Amino acid sequence: MARQWTCVEAGCDETITAPDTDTIIELVQAHIADVHDSFELEDMIETVLIDVPDAE
Amino acid sequence: MSSDVESKFHFSREMVSGEIYRKYEKAMRKHWKVEDLDFTQDALDWQRITPEQQKGLLGITIRFLAGEQAVTDELVPMLAASHALRRFDWTMFLATFLLEEAKHAEFFMRWHEAVVGIVDPSEVAPHFLTRGKTVDPSGRFEVRDVMHEALPNYGRILHEAALGGTEKEIERAFVQFSAAYNGFVEGVLTMPSYEIVIDTTTQWDAFPTLNQGFKLILADEGRHITFGTTACRMLIEKDPSYEEVVHEVFDAYRGNIVGLVEYQKAVPGLDVGKYQTMKVRHYRNRCREMGVQPDDTLIEQILDPSIDFVVGVEAG
Repeated sequence: MARQWTCVEAGCDETITAPDTDTIIELVQAHIADVHDSFELEDMIETVLIDVPDAE
Repeated sequence: MSSDVESKFHFSREMVSGEIYRKYEKAMRKHWKVEDLDFTQDALDWQRITPEQQKGLLGITIRFLAGEQAVTDELVPMLAASHALRRFDWTMFLATFLLEEAKHAEFFMRWHEAVVGIVDPSEVAPHFLTRGKTVDPSGRFEVRDVMHEALPNYGRILHEAALGGTEKEIERAFVQFSAAYNGFVEGVLTMPSYEIVIDTTTQWDAFPTLNQGFKLILADEGRHITFGTTACRMLIEKDPSYEEVVHEVFDAYRGNIVGLVEYQKAVPGLDVGKYQTMKVRHYRNRCREMGVQPDDTLIEQILDPSIDFVVGVEAG
């Protein structure tokens, strides 16, 4: 299973999928920094991750 | 073996593989100490910034100095309730939570002592911005001091429930307290404040240890907030009627969230809109973690540019 996270910043619905938790945390933190000039804490990302089927 | 003897033991394979126990293990791995931090450069920076900058920064750090002491003091009801609910993993995590809040209070005490030269209540109190004096010119919102009013009140209700209430009463009071403490105060209201300090110290290229301390504290807070919201989610899954309690708490202190935090305007050069917008993200995230539906009217009001009174100063 892959891990998936969706941004809930006002006006943003970016969805990020990655093969594991460490990778998705890095990708999410990069998204929040680059797009929203902010940061998201590791535990907050981890808590709302959902499992999705691996990409083909 | 009798169940009476078995009741003396709390660990189970299910518990130690659960999400709350993993937070306890992470807290143990991530321990840091205030005594390892060096405040020398911050003290030099304090001497070179303007009196206006000093006033703006102190308005923030003094709120944190008071706030961290308040949250340290107010954790006991959660511990009592975890014991009453026979959640030993929650108790173990809360032991790290309490230690970390005490450490955060110590950090701010040491920073103010070494950098500003103030420690005693009579020295720090004059710099405290009183939110209770805030007036919304439109008259639509009341601003109350959630940290120093809601937490003691909800804490007393939770403590009384833990000592003599039914399981349902304890659970409901736990959700009420945690929604206020972890969801509202730590999870939404304070998050922009952390970011304002980090942005300010970065913009000024000053106060490296204040910046470092805020980042260390934030990492701890991420665990605290998600402990509370995860515990709420577990209880709400057990009894969905508890969701209403979360909304009641946020509604009671709505004015504090829709107004601008005083620091947003206290430090010139910061992007005020960014901090208001991020409250929506944090609110939606806390709701997502708790498994509750966000209140769209609250989101609309946070983003409404016509609602721009500043919490913490006397308007008009």
